[in-house]
Amino acid sequence: MQTNLEKSRTKKYLLFSLLGTGFVIFVANLAGQDVATVASDLLYVPVLGALVILSIIIAARFNVKGEHGRSWILFVGLAASWFIAEQIWIVYDLVYQIDPWPSMADIFYLLGYPFLFLFSIYYLKPVKDAISKKTMAYASLATITLLIPLLYMAYDTDSEISTFELTLALSYPIADVIVLIPALIGVILFFRGEVNFLWSLMCIAIVLNVVADSGFLITSMDGSYYTGHPIDMLYLWAYILFSFGVYSHIQIFKKHRPNIKSQSLEDLR
Amino acid sequence: MFDAANGEIYKALVTLAIEKTLLNMGKPVLDEVAHRLFKNYKSYMPDCYEHPEYLKSVLKELYGNCYNNIVKSINKNLEEFATKKPIEHFLTVISE
Repeated sequence: MQTNLEKSRTKKYLLFSLLGTGFVIFVANLAGQDVATVASDLLYVPVLGALVILSIIIAARFNVKGEHGRSWILFVGLAASWFIAEQIWIVYDLVYQIDPWPSMADIFYLLGYPFLFLFSIYYLKPVKDAISKKTMAYASLATITLLIPLLYMAYDTDSEISTFELTLALSYPIADVIVLIPALIGVILFFRGEVNFLWSLMCIAIVLNVVADSGFLITSMDGSYYTGHPIDMLYLWAYILFSFGVYSHIQIFKKHRPNIKSQSLEDLR
Repeated sequence: MFDAANGEIYKALVTLAIEKTLLNMGKPVLDEVAHRLFKNYKSYMPDCYEHPEYLKSVLKELYGNCYNNIVKSINKNLEEFATKKPIEHFLTVISE
């Protein structure tokens, strides 16, 4: 069980991690674009690596059984896809020194979205009765409001890009919108006081990732994006929030000593 | 004596319904609920038959105010016996 002290310590570490990565990206940007590129590329390795390891631990704990087990195995799929995508991006960026967009990395980024959507559906399942039609309507409205300008921005780009690149550029806002609806519902439940902060971290992380994707799209379209751009901080923060969300579940569903295990039906016989 | 035997049967049915619901969610969920029942109330899963409020409080601790779906699932598992007084009492308390 996670005690109040553990919860407060987890929140402190979370704050420290968010401020730490923010500080590194900020200082690296002050030192120049090249430094920012190397710093952010190198930050993705431990941040996403930790996420993959933590998600494997929680999926193994649930032994891929039950509703929670299925949701965590989907999350492993997401973490692994995005980890591979980031590694491909880093290789293109630092080793080959060519523009990583579009590349093989996009296949893995996009592959992560179906995993993320299905995960969020399973994740919200235990609290589905608390989701009212009004909450659904608010989440859908906010999502559509975001989708229209993003689609317009992705479509209204210069004619230099190929149909493939345009399709790829349009795929991200559409995928974002699909995952944003359940995530926003989770965030609304948190603000209504229905669920606790650590539970809602996963949903906040999805929302932050969508904001980062929108920022990436806007800066890419106006040509100001480079790897290590301050917008990358939002991606790193989203991955950190995911990691702490998974970690809090590992803490909640700890393995217990058998002597205080349930006296179950076996004992009633 | 007949009532006492019935009581044991109802207790087993309630325990089975709770364990089935929690196992559907995952073994660690069942373990965690059992652990918290013991830690907070020095009780075991079958004790929830007499003290449904213990289970309610533990589920609330784990899932916040959104534990209704779990209660609904326990309700469904006990649907057939819901007219029996002791089970009706159990269901009323956890659903309140």
